[in-house]
Amino acid sequence: MTLLEEFLVAVMAATSLDESLVLFLKATALSQWVVSTPWVWPLCETLHFIGLTLVVGIIGPLDIRLLGFMKNVPVAALKTLVPWAVAGFVINLVTGVIFLAAAPEQYIRNLSWWFKVLFLMIAGVNVLLFETTQRSRMLAMGPGEDTPAAFKLIGGVSLVSWGMVLYWGRMLPFLGNAF
Amino acid sequence: MMELLQALEGSAFSIWVREAPTVWAYPTVLTLHTAGLAVLVGVNAAFDVRLLGFGRQIPLAEMERFFPAMWVGFWLNAITGAMLFAIDPITKGTTTIFMIKLAFIAAGVILIVMLRRAVYGRGREAATVTSAARAFAVLSLLVWVGAIATGRLMAYV
Repeated sequence: MTLLEEFLVAVMAATSLDESLVLFLKATALSQWVVSTPWVWPLCETLHFIGLTLVVGIIGPLDIRLLGFMKNVPVAALKTLVPWAVAGFVINLVTGVIFLAAAPEQYIRNLSWWFKVLFLMIAGVNVLLFETTQRSRMLAMGPGEDTPAAFKLIGGVSLVSWGMVLYWGRMLPFLGNAF
Repeated sequence: MMELLQALEGSAFSIWVREAPTVWAYPTVLTLHTAGLAVLVGVNAAFDVRLLGFGRQIPLAEMERFFPAMWVGFWLNAITGAMLFAIDPITKGTTTIFMIKLAFIAAGVILIVMLRRAVYGRGREAATVTSAARAFAVLSLLVWVGAIATGRLMAYV
């Protein structure tokens, strides 16, 4: 962990990516507003937790169905609740950008944050793969049917990657430098 | 009461969770508390929105299986919550906002029991969405928002 962290810091210093990005974000009006308004941060934290709750509560059961459990519930039926998870994700994207703008050095120089971003990307690619390659197969599936291997793989990757997003998010202050 | 809180704060267990220089102590307990919250409130919220008219294609009878998941989340958080209280009992035991959070959680848990009774009281196959069940669903969503908000505010007292 420390070695990886040193590597990250060295790469950032060599490319001067972190200097320019931190300075740019701190100069934004959004950043200055959040820093000077004490209630914004706790409000955004609360919203961020509500958003994560929606993602886990809607996507979790869907992943479990994709893994082959709860066979009497059609996959397509569970998918009709996904807009709630998307709403949760958008809340977290917006509040996440607010955190990043307000305290960029806490995240950009934090290995836990990069792991979180990595798993967000894995989760995103996984959703895109499902929607582009498995959609017609999903709509054709009736209740009581077992899921094909591709569904199980995508459900498993989703469950693990969202779990990792939550884990690395929570680890920001402990395995990194946040707060 | 204060003697009890002081004894707890000075206990070996409390000191270990609070001060052990390992991610397996405080950070892990806190992460599990967040995961438990997501499962308890998230699965409950999914059930609530189903009662409020979204995702009607999901067979209501099958959704009774959401309840054991809520209880797993609840017990995980009861245990990790007791540990988090044990490391900081004097502050938490004397903070109004923490008492409000506990009241929200109690209401949320009672509502889980009432939701299940209202929907599945006449058996799984006779599951129906009554207006009482819908009212419980709205209350449940509001109460969990309150619990999350007061829980987050604990970090600022």
